[in-house]
Amino acid sequence: MAARVARFRCWSRIHRYGLVVCRRYSSGSAYPNVSLSCPLPGIPKPIFASVDGQEKYETKITTLENGLRVASQNKFGQFCTVGILVNSGSRHEAKYPSGVSHFLEKLAFSSTAQYGSKDEILLTLEKHGGICDCQTSRDTTMYAVSAEVKGLDTVVSLLSDVVLQPRLTDDEIEMTRMAVRFELEDLNMRPDPEPLLTEMIHAAAYRGNTVGLPRFTPVENVEKIDKAMLHKYLQSYYIPERMVLAGVGVDHEQLMHCASKYLLGVKPVWGAGTPDKVDCSLAQYTGGIIKCEKDMSDVSLGPTPIPELTHIMIGLESCSFLEEDFIPFAVLNMMMGGGGSFSAGGPGKGMFTRLYLNVLNRHHWMYNATSYHHSYEDTGLLCIHASADPRQVREMVEILTREFIQMAATAGEMELERAKTQLKSMLMMNLESRPIIFEDVGRQVLATGKRKLPQELCDLINRVTAADIKRVTTKMLRSKPAVAALGDLSELPTYEHIQAALSSKDGRLPRIYRLFR
Amino acid sequence: MAASFACLLKTFGRKAVWKGLTNSRYTGKPIFGINRWRSIQAASQVVLNVPETKLTSLENGLRVASEDSGLTTCTVGLWIDAGSRYENEKNNGTAHFLEHMAFKGTKKRSQLDLELEIENMGAHLNAYTSREQTVYYAKAFSKDLPRAVEILADIIQNSTLGEAEIERERGVILREMQEVETNLQEVVFDYLHATAYQSTALGRTILGPTENIKSINRNDLVEYITTHYKGPRIVLAAAGGVSHSELIDLAKYHFGNLPSTYKGDAPALPLCRFTGSEIRVRDDKMPLAHIAISIEAVGWSHPDTIPLMVANTLIGNWDRSFGGGVNLSSKLAQMACQGNLCHSFQSFNTCYTDTGLWGLYMVCEPNTIEDMMHFTQREWMRLCTSVTESEVVRAKNLLKTNMLLQLDGSTPICEDIGRQMLCYGRRIPLPELEARIEAINSKTIREVCSKYIYDKCPAIAAVGPIEQLPDYNRIRSGMYWLRT
Repeated sequence: MAARVARFRCWSRIHRYGLVVCRRYSSGSAYPNVSLSCPLPGIPKPIFASVDGQEKYETKITTLENGLRVASQNKFGQFCTVGILVNSGSRHEAKYPSGVSHFLEKLAFSSTAQYGSKDEILLTLEKHGGICDCQTSRDTTMYAVSAEVKGLDTVVSLLSDVVLQPRLTDDEIEMTRMAVRFELEDLNMRPDPEPLLTEMIHAAAYRGNTVGLPRFTPVENVEKIDKAMLHKYLQSYYIPERMVLAGVGVDHEQLMHCASKYLLGVKPVWGAGTPDKVDCSLAQYTGGIIKCEKDMSDVSLGPTPIPELTHIMIGLESCSFLEEDFIPFAVLNMMMGGGGSFSAGGPGKGMFTRLYLNVLNRHHWMYNATSYHHSYEDTGLLCIHASADPRQVREMVEILTREFIQMAATAGEMELERAKTQLKSMLMMNLESRPIIFEDVGRQVLATGKRKLPQELCDLINRVTAADIKRVTTKMLRSKPAVAALGDLSELPTYEHIQAALSSKDGRLPRIYRLFR
Repeated sequence: MAASFACLLKTFGRKAVWKGLTNSRYTGKPIFGINRWRSIQAASQVVLNVPETKLTSLENGLRVASEDSGLTTCTVGLWIDAGSRYENEKNNGTAHFLEHMAFKGTKKRSQLDLELEIENMGAHLNAYTSREQTVYYAKAFSKDLPRAVEILADIIQNSTLGEAEIERERGVILREMQEVETNLQEVVFDYLHATAYQSTALGRTILGPTENIKSINRNDLVEYITTHYKGPRIVLAAAGGVSHSELIDLAKYHFGNLPSTYKGDAPALPLCRFTGSEIRVRDDKMPLAHIAISIEAVGWSHPDTIPLMVANTLIGNWDRSFGGGVNLSSKLAQMACQGNLCHSFQSFNTCYTDTGLWGLYMVCEPNTIEDMMHFTQREWMRLCTSVTESEVVRAKNLLKTNMLLQLDGSTPICEDIGRQMLCYGRRIPLPELEARIEAINSKTIREVCSKYIYDKCPAIAAVGPIEQLPDYNRIRSGMYWLRT
């Protein structure tokens, strides 16, 4: 026993003082039994790269003869992220049952002309140390692969196959139906209602059109969607003019070479029949309210109860990311900030944003107050989510409407500077990561045909003044509110009252006189 | 790479929440990674397109490690070899309490000053405590590196630890405890530690029991600092846009006065014995059963860690919203999917200095527990007896990919540096790591798995409607195969 203790003593000291003492372990196998604390003998000596100055940001863009755009951003390293972005999402589903793009997201990277199954695709990628992923949002579908640069040719060929030649077998569609059902079930079971509220506020703000269409397949559509319908949709929307091939960490010439090899003159599996007319409708902001009465008294999945909460989200129309006012709105969103009353994160999480200072720090009964900014190519939505006990919903709504009215007052110099600095740092910190650079390049090129570099964005942020904030807010306050409400709604003020509060001077709800409550 | 070793290393405390410029724009699932290295095989040299991790030790034993990738932002932090493992029954919770107090003001700055300074810089300050490590780190613009280091030095050396603040923080920690209790995965892993390491330091929670949170006082905190926050046990790590020489100067200036020696003996790492055993908390009102089963694995630096990581990757993770396609490399995922056996499962390998937990966490409907458990154990036995070469090759590739793609951005790289410095006293060069993984074949996996899994007593923690969970002896008898 004594020996044992002593060994551990010694062990801990080795550990602590970083002494290199090699221990041999008896493992009895051919596998090298050298502790991970010691270098393995016989390993080639690495020669490291060094950084010469700041990394240069440069995005190169070329359009192929068929209209497909190729964008690349060079970044040193053995790994790259390459993908195809398609201008297709739930906003294009007006003429289809909602959920087509949700199905396509789930079906992505399944069997194709070249590959017999998803497994074969994964195996091919694994040989190049790669992984794949597909994400759909309201306006864009992204197929992306991260892999070693030397596998670029295979990756682009695979991407082309996945996007243009999917087999969409009956089995796969049946599997997808199951996966979609499970996802919908989980969405309703999750204690965090954010995705559900985002869905509701979009439906309220853009009633029955474009970005207001559901992003998740409604349950009743799960059985309706089939191969013929998917093909019809793909035929209209998956055309070269609506696609961007983007790559980060690749050479532009090489990417162009692969693009012309695999994406030029390719006949998609759905044939070249007459495509449906593409839905080019612009988003129509309508405003309105969507209510979902739901018993939230027992949402906890475990023995520890989560308090019963009613969730409210109020939004107003902001602007598209193509407009100049987009930057002031982004600053405004940062200035509002907020989060949970008990959220993780130390200093830096936005403790001095208005939703903390004016709302959460003053009204301790509120559970959450967070600002969100959703922006699309033709519209945008600035909204605040808040939650509290059902009995205090009226008070909570009034606090939100007052905050909206307050936005139009002149912003303080300190808080504006802070919001601008935080927006810049958030931007730069996000862009440390390769997949985010990929998404940024892809989305910008898809929407505008070019890319604003991070430095340009920072310059634009620097130029935002208090007058800009005031101007955009005043304009925003003229729109009709969009409201989403989830939970016990017995104390929810009427939509008309919320609207009245948002057009008043002080944001107060009209007084109601009731004899019997 | 070490981040994947510690996929279930628990981090209570704070995690930053990054918000996108527009919410629709930057909400990517973090499954792709950035990698800035290239290896061109040469006879005796490898050229890497990754900056070197530079390492310097100060006179008092504090180690400085950094990797400069020339970004405009950086992450810098202190990795301290001290966590709840060094506590006893009476002061369990002190390390975590201390982490909370670090943000409550110093001799130089009040709490408000500190918060305003960080927020106005557009920086983030974060901390977490695990069973063996305490970490404080900051993310900032590269130009603000000196200020970030100064702030870190201030909060760990000059914390006021005011009585009033301590009193207030008790409430906050108790509230955090409630929050943790709503996360069933955390609850199950706390139970798993409690049973596997019963009556030892690793069996206790990081937050500590309620009575300790109510009674920990200033003295406990001061004593913990003076015992553990010593030069040789601290690593100052940085990544992103950081110059190593500048960092050394800053370290000398701000940490040069940290004590390096002990009056008596250095506190010994308490011994933690693994016991095959179980905890069952049956609650039929809950919709799903949450179960973890694990055997004793090895510590961070043991060479068998790598084969166990490969075995861990081979079992894999699965979630029913993945559908049937993803992760078909895992046989267990195929079975779970086809038989609708569970909602999700995760294979884990949690390492400590001299021990570890290797196992599976599953979330099941009440009536599929028995089947899920049966197939899990069948897979484990197959690992020990008849795993095939092609599966192992695949798992090796996946493991390498996951490790490499994880090093995405300055914070994960900095975490990797800090943790590896504490665990291994060095940062393992990528070619070496690859070579260590490459050396594994199906025979290694069978041998190593037989050594740690076959006919061993597992530790089990189960919460929820778990009537169907077989009794311990039956589960134990699934840990071997009767063969003639």
